[in-house]
Amino acid sequence: MLDQLGNGLLLGIIISVASVALSLLYGVTRIVNFAHGEVIALGAIVTLFFSAPVDSKVLFLDRFSPLGVSFSTSVIIAILFCGLFGALLELFLFRPLRKAEVGNIAVLVVTIGLSIFIRHFYLLFATGKVQDFPLGLERRQTYLFFDMTPRNFKVLIAGLVVMIIIGLFLTFTRMGKAMRAVRDSSELASVSGINSDNIILFTWISSSMLAGLAGIFQAIINDVRYNMGFLILLLIFAGTVLGGIGTSFGAMVGGLLIGIFVQVSVALPFMEGHTEAKNAVALAIMILILLFRPQGIFGEKERIS
Amino acid sequence: MSSSLMRVNNLKKSFGGVKAVDIDNLIFNKNELTSIIGPNGAGKTTLFDLISGFQEEDSGEIFYQEKNITKSQPHKIARLGMVRTFQLTKVFDRMTVLENLMFAGSNISNDSLFQSIIQFPKQKNYENSLEEEALRVMKDLNIEQMSNAYARELSGGQKKLLELGRSIIRKPDVLLLDEPLAGVNPKLTEEILEIIEKLSNDGITILMVEHNIEAVMKISERVIVLAEGSLIADGLPQEVRENKKVIEAYLGGGDE
Amino acid sequence: MKLSVKWIVTVVLTSFSIYMVFALNPEGQLRILFNVLTFAGIYGLAAIGLNVHFGLTGLLNFGHASFMGVGAYVTLLLIPHAAGREGQITETGLPFLLALVIGILSASLFGLLLGLPAIRLRGDYLAIVTIAAAEIFRLLVRDLESVTGGVYGIINFSDSLQKYRPNFIETFVSKYDLNAGQIWVGFLSWVSIFFVLLLLKRLNSSPWGRALRAVREDEDAVRALGKNAVWLKLQSFMLGAGIAGLAGVFLAFNYGSLQTTLFVPLLTFYVWAIMILGGVGSLSGPVFGSVIFWVIISETDRLAALIFENANGQQLAGVRFVLVGLLIMILMIFRPSGLLGKKEELLLNVK
Repeated sequence: MLDQLGNGLLLGIIISVASVALSLLYGVTRIVNFAHGEVIALGAIVTLFFSAPVDSKVLFLDRFSPLGVSFSTSVIIAILFCGLFGALLELFLFRPLRKAEVGNIAVLVVTIGLSIFIRHFYLLFATGKVQDFPLGLERRQTYLFFDMTPRNFKVLIAGLVVMIIIGLFLTFTRMGKAMRAVRDSSELASVSGINSDNIILFTWISSSMLAGLAGIFQAIINDVRYNMGFLILLLIFAGTVLGGIGTSFGAMVGGLLIGIFVQVSVALPFMEGHTEAKNAVALAIMILILLFRPQGIFGEKERIS
Repeated sequence: MSSSLMRVNNLKKSFGGVKAVDIDNLIFNKNELTSIIGPNGAGKTTLFDLISGFQEEDSGEIFYQEKNITKSQPHKIARLGMVRTFQLTKVFDRMTVLENLMFAGSNISNDSLFQSIIQFPKQKNYENSLEEEALRVMKDLNIEQMSNAYARELSGGQKKLLELGRSIIRKPDVLLLDEPLAGVNPKLTEEILEIIEKLSNDGITILMVEHNIEAVMKISERVIVLAEGSLIADGLPQEVRENKKVIEAYLGGGDE
Repeated sequence: MKLSVKWIVTVVLTSFSIYMVFALNPEGQLRILFNVLTFAGIYGLAAIGLNVHFGLTGLLNFGHASFMGVGAYVTLLLIPHAAGREGQITETGLPFLLALVIGILSASLFGLLLGLPAIRLRGDYLAIVTIAAAEIFRLLVRDLESVTGGVYGIINFSDSLQKYRPNFIETFVSKYDLNAGQIWVGFLSWVSIFFVLLLLKRLNSSPWGRALRAVREDEDAVRALGKNAVWLKLQSFMLGAGIAGLAGVFLAFNYGSLQTTLFVPLLTFYVWAIMILGGVGSLSGPVFGSVIFWVIISETDRLAALIFENANGQQLAGVRFVLVGLLIMILMIFRPSGLLGKKEELLLNVK
């Protein structure tokens, strides 16, 4: 059980960071972004591209070898790259759509198309194989009650620190306050002199950087796959919904809870021999929340029907 | 009270702490043409929403013909013979005027998927009679020339007429009219008032929310005044017109 | 029917794509064509069902794969088959037609069970709930190996359908060296499309169709007139789900084996792409959309060969799906009404 709790915390921190990113974006832009998983995978893939040893068999675009940059530098480059990618998405896709007043259902379908497109672009040009970061093996150690590798423990701590930083940022900085203002009412915000275009651009950048970070976490704990983001996308939705759609704090807790729940459920008696179905339980929880407490644990009541 | 048709007890509704409706006791009588007036935000439309089931009250009860309809869904309330219109006209834009009326008049079993797959001959007959009925209503409302026009092509006033027609074809016992004259030109206003009076004479109980005070005073048998959600006057048009509280709350605002 | 530009363009494009099959393939053209047409028929049928949901009623259903899956699994489990790791054989079963009817009804019932609580949800939330429900369905089917065969799937069920294969197919097949089983499935799917379209055309002009349009226009007004808008939407959800169930059965028979991997979300997205291409809200649009879509899909292998030397299966799939994704995006941005849809009838905003 405790083992599973440790695994749950690790999965939880991945989903939590990714959920905050999704929730920020939804809050400010009202876009349900199905391509979120692909930004997550981007963080891991770019990190791999820079950090894998030059002589390894990993190939990108069928001809480019990895660059052999140090791992920590690769992580920073990858996160920046994800931010740039988010900015490009906003500037060349979603801003024009917004200016053309394309309906939100149409935008949702566009993000699905985008998700399929990018994901299989990775399959073609990045890596169809399951890859590992070049980090070597580590022995598990005991931290408090949990057995995990030192590296995974660092991921857990890093994730918690990132959460705190986001929380402080949203509460205390001008930009954070402006983001919350746009979330609550874009018209009102623009009346009070906030440039919502800039806020939205900033949101895309920061949300994408966070998503990329979540992807790097996921790859450190597990591995790199072209569809790694899509595999956990519905769990991320579940985390966002559980905490309360559009609330960042809710998404943090919701994501963590979903991760813990998925892993701990494996240890439950009635789940014995049914570990493959563990995600189904989390998804069922999400559906029940949407039906019976759509504002989630922390959200305020919002019209959803 | 033999003529009581509907009563409202201790009805309360607020939005985010702001009181929208707070009515201790209110009885509507059969066959009466009652108007509900009051300044903007007085809770008139909210009262309609509560009665017709489109919003849920915080507390209180509503009885229609001694049946408690407090928690009933809108379509169930409508099936009891109480049909409403909306402040912002809700016609089916991309359906023709005839289709709007025929849909409104059609009964539940005629609308069912099963009937429409099998299409018994009797459905054809029913549809024919429905079409005749719709034509008759259009004639009464003087919109028969628009029969095949899409509802979105109608003028604001014509849309009000169509909405009225959709309610009439359901042969209601009670009609809740939410600002039937809003945005209607003077000539059409006269026409609509005549129609409302005629419906009232035919025995339909009518509750009407309306801002056009002249019209209200002219045709109403009873006038109810709401302000900030509460009842401040209730009586014959003439009494209400002279009521001090009403003048203060309503006309005191100056611009109306 | 008015001969509009839309229709001319659609027919020309469809004919052109069929012509491309002949132009691009030096040999085995008929074989490829009938393979394409079979897939087009099956997916076209599924897209017609989806169009009942989204096009006619405005319901954002992203769990279409589960309706197809329920139809397929229920039907196959009721007829003689072999399932699971050991390939455990079940020799007795219902006659195919009866099993099929139960399968279709089960898909409808699944639609009802899912729709009953979910149909009141706003569009984007309904999308999330349906896609999650479809994933739950797939995970459960994979997990319940003793009933469904789990990851090992179901095999040896084709006889129930193939024993009804008429003689004219055999004669036709023997002339051109084609796969008789597939032709029979394809034939049946196109016959089904014909009857389903007849039914929908009949419904569209019926009081039910009128009521459904009214619901799409303004639910509150419908309720104020004493009609149960939720029930009308549920009926539409069940109808579309049933059609999807039928398509799912054909899909299984076309492959000759049933695997859970078939019902991943990508299946739903394929059907969405076809519906959007054909035209949201147009009854026959998805049929044309499906033919064009499958010609594109089948000829992308050529494209893949241009990009990669000795493209492997993964790369072929990659090229296909990159195209599917692009197609969905470009259509949704530049021509959301597709080939035959009416722009003014699209519901692209959450109300």
